[in-house]
This record gives sequence, structure tokens and C-alpha cells, in this order.
Amino acid sequence: MATTDSVSSTLTAAQDIPRLSERDLDWVVVQRVQAGHVGAFNQLVQKYRQQIFSLIYNMTSNREDASDLTQETFIKAFQAIARFKGKSSFFTWIYRIAMNTTMSFLKKRSRRRYISYETINEELSGSEIFERLTAKNRSEAAVLVHELQEKLNDSLQKLSPKHRMVVVLHEIEGLDHAEIAEITKASVGTVRARLHYAKQHLQSYLKDYIG
Amino acid sequence: MAKQIKPYSSTINVENLLRLKRFERPSEAFWNQFDRELHQRMLQTLVKKDPWYLQVMRGCSSSLLSGAALVLSAVVIGIFAVRTVFPPMPSQAATIMSFDVTAQVADAALPISIQADHLISTLDYGTDAISVEDVSDEDTFRRDFGMQGMQVAAYDAAVYSTDSAHARISFVSTGLVY
Repeated sequence: MATTDSVSSTLTAAQDIPRLSERDLDWVVVQRVQAGHVGAFNQLVQKYRQQIFSLIYNMTSNREDASDLTQETFIKAFQAIARFKGKSSFFTWIYRIAMNTTMSFLKKRSRRRYISYETINEELSGSEIFERLTAKNRSEAAVLVHELQEKLNDSLQKLSPKHRMVVVLHEIEGLDHAEIAEITKASVGTVRARLHYAKQHLQSYLKDYIG
Repeated sequence: MAKQIKPYSSTINVENLLRLKRFERPSEAFWNQFDRELHQRMLQTLVKKDPWYLQVMRGCSSSLLSGAALVLSAVVIGIFAVRTVFPPMPSQAATIMSFDVTAQVADAALPISIQADHLISTLDYGTDAISVEDVSDEDTFRRDFGMQGMQVAAYDAAVYSTDSAHARISFVSTGLVY
């Protein structure tokens, strides 16, 4: 009985230890980098590279540009990390850097546009949406997926960068309205309005694929 | 092709289609290449490059230093050469080299010696004055120095024996070599 009590008290004590949030964990790593442990920055790169790449790729529809701009984002963050005070989360901060880097790139690139798609991960074939899309015609699945990829990227590129950004952050990256508002420095109402407008346009572009 | 899939997509909306884009992900090989490139670029940012003007200055510094040394030595040699070919006038000499008036003062050496003998005869002559006016009648001499007297450093008589000391030696001790 005494043993049971001691175990339960130990568990209670363990539960009392506050769990560090993602934000706090990032802040610890950031502080290590600020203290001179340059190698610690790689932890942040490994953690966020996929999300940052995805954001930029879906904004540019070009995998080479996305790779280059993702690297640029991390280099800018590395150069500015000494000035990062932790007022926002590192996640929000680096997303903002990525957004600004991408926006200025898109302004310069406005007259010429090269499309270069990323490969679709094999996991798609096991997804519910893939099952629904190819339910009656498995043989054409690969063609269908390729066509849909083109159509989706084309549709996104027809949106203005601001509307595209909101759609990408919400529908593809899975961020909520408040997080998007913080990254884009807009109000939540503006984010909602942009999202609504963008979806309406996408619906008309993709009307052949939706019911 | 699009019309063919329409019947199958009755339950599909924009959000579903957009989520398909989450499957557009780079391969592991891409990330390996990405990490290598990023690492290189970060190293480049760590080794900061100096501004262009500093790089130019650094490039020229060795040649500039040797050039400056050459110019300096040319100037020094030039000064000596000019002084050898064109000896300075007495007035110039007074300006360039202090008390380099040996020839002019030679004629006045005797009065100075006499006065110095007088000074030596006293035990402690402290800061006695030597009148330039007294020893030379030449206007140029007076004008060059532009002063009425020279302060002579005091020496203890015990150190310098007044019996054997010559007037000229006493002037050597003041630093005024004639």
C-alpha cells in the first residue's frame, strides 16, 4: 500500500511539471543559437523546412524557386536571430520571413512565370480523396492526378498573392485564422474575407472537379 | 478528361482538392541536397566579406607601403643632395640647423673665451648670461639668433674643476658645440 502511495505521489509530481509547449521548446533552441551554439539552428531547420518549403512552393508553383527561397528564408532567420526577442513564436516569425521573401520574389517575377511541379507523394494513393476521385476508373488514376495537380496549381496562380497566401496557409498548411492574421499582420476579419473570396474564385476555376 | 471525372466527384469540394496539394512533397534526396546547399550558404554568411573598398585597400596596401617608402627615401636623398649642391645661406642655416654657424662665430671665439674664463673663475655660475651682442658686431649674427642672451646650464664646480677646464670645454658641456 505504501509502495502504491509513493508511486502515485511520484506520478502526481511528474504531472505537476509543466510541459513545454512547442513555442517554449523553440525558444530554448533559439536561445542556444543566440548564445553561440550555431549548430542548434539545424534543429529549427529540420523542424520547419518542410512547412516553409510547402508554403513557398504553393505560392510559386516552382520547386527550384521554392528550394532557393526556403534556403534564403533560413539564412535571413539565421542572420536576424540575435534580434529575435521571443515576443511571437519562432514559428510565426519564420513564417513571416518566408512570406515576405516570397512576396518580394513574386513582385520581381510578375512578368515571367515558370511552372515546375513537385512530385506527388505515394501516400496520396492511400488517401480518402484519392479513393473518391478514382473510384470508378482506376486505370486513369495517374492521368487524373497529374491533370488535377496542373489544374490546382493553375487555379492558385490565378489568385492574387495575398489571396493565395491565405488559402495556402489555411487549406494546405492547416493554420487557423488567428495564426494567419498574426503572420500576415492583418485582422482576423480580413483573413476570413480573403479566404472566402479566394475560395469562391477557386470554386469557379475547379468547377469541373467538384459537385 | 475533366468531364469524365465529374460524376465521381459529387462529394468533393474545394477544400478536399486543395488538401491534395499536401501530398506534393520532395523526396529524401532533395532534402539531402537542400541541407548541403543551406549549410554551405550559412558558412558563407558566417565568413563575412568586407566591403569592396576595404578589399581594394588591402590589395593595394603592400604596393602602397613600398611606394610610400620609396617616395620617403627619395625625399630624404633629395634634401641631402640639394643641401650638398646648394649650401644654405647663414640666415637659412640658423633656421634649418640650430647653431650651425661655426664659420661666423670663429672670429668671435676669443671674446667668448675671455668671458667664459671670467665665468669659470666663479665657483657656481648658475644661469649666467652670455651676451651675443658683446662678441659679434655683425648685424646678421644678431638678427639670426634674435635674442640678447643664452641661458647656460649650471654645473657644480666640484664636478668640473675650474683650474683645468678650458672655455671651449665648458661650452661643450652646455651642448653648444663651436
